[in-house]
Amino acid sequence: MHHHDRNNPYQYKSGMTRRESLKWLGLLAAGSAVTLSGGCSKALEAGVADKSNVGHWPALNIKPVTATGYGTDPNMIMPPQSPWPLTLSAAQLTLVAILADWIVPREGDIPSASELEVPAVIDEWVSAPYEGQQRDRITILHALAWIDDEAQLRFKAKFAALSRAQQQAIIDDIAYYSDDTPEQFKRIGKAFWRFKELVLGAFFCSPEGCKDIGYLGNVPIAGDYPGPNAEAKAHLDKVLDELGLSSYAYQD
Amino acid sequence: MAKFDHKVLVVGSGAGGAMAAYTLAKLGHKVLMLEAGRDYNPKTESPMFKRNSEAPLMGAGNKDKNFGFYDATVDGGWQVPNEPYTEAEGTDFYWWRARMLGGRTNHWGRYSLRFSEHDFKAKSRDGHGADWPFEYQDLAPWYDKTEAIVGVCGTNTGLDDMPPSSEGILQPPPKPRVPELLVAAAAKKLGIPAVPMHRAVLTRSIDDRMACFYATPCGHGCSIGAAFQTTTSLIPMAKKTGNLEVITDAMVKSVSVDDNGRVTGVTYVDKKTATEHAIGADVVILAASACESARIMLNSKSAAHPNGVANSSGQVGRNLMDSTGAWLGAQIPALKGRPRYNEDGHTANHLFIPWWGHKAQAKGELAFPRGYHFEISSGFGQPGSGVSGDKQGYGPALKQQVRDAYGSYVGFALRGEMLPNKDTYMEIDPEVKDKWGIPVAKFHFKWSDRELKQIEHGLQTAKAILETMGAKVGTLPSPEKAISKGGEIIHEVGTTRMGSSPKESVTNQWGQTWDCDNLFVMDAGVFASNPHKNCTLTIMTLAMRNSTWLSEQIAKGAL
Repeated sequence: MHHHDRNNPYQYKSGMTRRESLKWLGLLAAGSAVTLSGGCSKALEAGVADKSNVGHWPALNIKPVTATGYGTDPNMIMPPQSPWPLTLSAAQLTLVAILADWIVPREGDIPSASELEVPAVIDEWVSAPYEGQQRDRITILHALAWIDDEAQLRFKAKFAALSRAQQQAIIDDIAYYSDDTPEQFKRIGKAFWRFKELVLGAFFCSPEGCKDIGYLGNVPIAGDYPGPNAEAKAHLDKVLDELGLSSYAYQD
Repeated sequence: MAKFDHKVLVVGSGAGGAMAAYTLAKLGHKVLMLEAGRDYNPKTESPMFKRNSEAPLMGAGNKDKNFGFYDATVDGGWQVPNEPYTEAEGTDFYWWRARMLGGRTNHWGRYSLRFSEHDFKAKSRDGHGADWPFEYQDLAPWYDKTEAIVGVCGTNTGLDDMPPSSEGILQPPPKPRVPELLVAAAAKKLGIPAVPMHRAVLTRSIDDRMACFYATPCGHGCSIGAAFQTTTSLIPMAKKTGNLEVITDAMVKSVSVDDNGRVTGVTYVDKKTATEHAIGADVVILAASACESARIMLNSKSAAHPNGVANSSGQVGRNLMDSTGAWLGAQIPALKGRPRYNEDGHTANHLFIPWWGHKAQAKGELAFPRGYHFEISSGFGQPGSGVSGDKQGYGPALKQQVRDAYGSYVGFALRGEMLPNKDTYMEIDPEVKDKWGIPVAKFHFKWSDRELKQIEHGLQTAKAILETMGAKVGTLPSPEKAISKGGEIIHEVGTTRMGSSPKESVTNQWGQTWDCDNLFVMDAGVFASNPHKNCTLTIMTLAMRNSTWLSEQIAKGAL
């Protein structure tokens, strides 16, 4: 079984210089070959989750990252290229890439998450020696292991080796975290929600993502700031009208 | 150093120190400035036009860079490496410091609102805290001069809380943006004004500083000098006179005095060599920031000054105040998916809500004595590590939720006046020393009911404005939960307050200590109260006025 959703996604180079992208390419190439061999068998053996009696949760022994940070006076003009050692395995990076592309697939001309090296950003994030990122590391490593465990339990293969339909069946169960989420998907639902946030952040902060979301700033303006354009003004007028605020509109 | 025969020694290169040094250098006095941090040049070091995607962790903050990777602060933040502070049991105090030339002016919010007669004489009105030892009219011309040199954009609104600048002083403000215009209409319906913020950002070029080009956040530092920081303005301008020399990495430990208790200079640690040096001066100006200057004074004990230099009143370290802070925000359904345009502007408030409750307070209609203002957070900001929206599902539908939510949130940041109280002060920790062997500051902090009542009023007001814009707000947090931690708003003041009596204050109205005529304080330590309107403009205005007076004393031969 091969990765139907990953038809050479990494050949696309958009001119952005996402740090670590070359390193990530190398790891991915390696990962494709070893996807089925590495992994979390221990976690699967551990089986049952701790908090809930329903479902499973991997028992991982995650060692804290002990690297130092970039310090209180980093070079901001030429940011550090590799501020700390990356920690995701090739298999984990591959899984991150597949999941990231479910979350942010290619849409027409807009690249997918993996095409924009989002997995490298996730790797940097979960490998960072800071408190918030260390919390996310625990969340996300467990989520990745859970997803492979679930794939094994349901379809007898790692997630990366599943068909798209099989992958989607699992994602459908974990991607709608809310109060109504069935008990066995609550913990993974919350963890996957955090993973989605990071993937979305990493996608939308890229130049392509900024374009997709419609961020039009970060460009110098000669002369006075022009304020809202005609379309934005017309929309505001409509909103003021609908809210009954037209007579209170701001006057210079 | 031997060739440079300085008359005045200034400790600190931030708002107060740089303005004092500039004013004195312009008036022909040789000034030596000591800065505890490293040299810093915004022209070459500001990360202009950088994207979050180019930074580690998408630019997100952490313990090394609390306000994000690109924040201008060097070797500082809520903690400074090797320079701890301590807190009394039950106190949770935040003390933001920077160790760099220009200090905190390199990243500050640039909000520059004048205090008013109402602010300076508040005790006479309501009995709380202390009056300032001058009238607004004494300070007004100095506000004009300071605003002209700094470069402040805004308008004269004619409102109670905003004394006017003289004709031609303020630069034109930038046009308001969509969420601000919606807030202004909703607030107006409730009888609350929203007006142009006053901000130390050039919208017209002056000297070699360029007008703002409306891109790249001011907090990163500004290589073109449009957003005011002393490192692109007062310090290079003072150096140009030939009358200013600066020593960086010089951490002042104490003020030295002679047998009569008169100030003779300071002792400092050269951080590069970890060696201690004594340096003399006829006049010493402390402008190391309110708590750092008080720390130096309390660490300067001698036979003549057993409780620390110029502390016969016992007021050094007392009367510590921060601004109150709280935040309330919500999604505005009508703003979802709104039309895109470049909403960077000068990267902070174009409109804000000044305190509008003077008359209600005078009539006794409010349960708290002092005012607050709202800063508005909104807009199509540069995407970073956090994204908005419900984030349900995956794929194109999920992405659309994020696109729709982008720019649809409005938040109100309350900044209010705190009153001094006896439980809130700083002292010297008897045990703990920093890496340089200098005893550290220990903080005691409590809010009183006066602040909590103010926060409660602010939350209710913010909720009313949000609901008028069509938002669902839900249950408000309790004021105890909503209020900021002491120091968190980074407006700490009052630790060496000025006044009209040597018994109740540390300095006179000129920032001259009552006990030592050649020791001055020119940072926010001298504030007699902490009006809600941000400290920096008034720090600079007082430093200009008071160092001009100091120059007159030198000319008269008094110093």
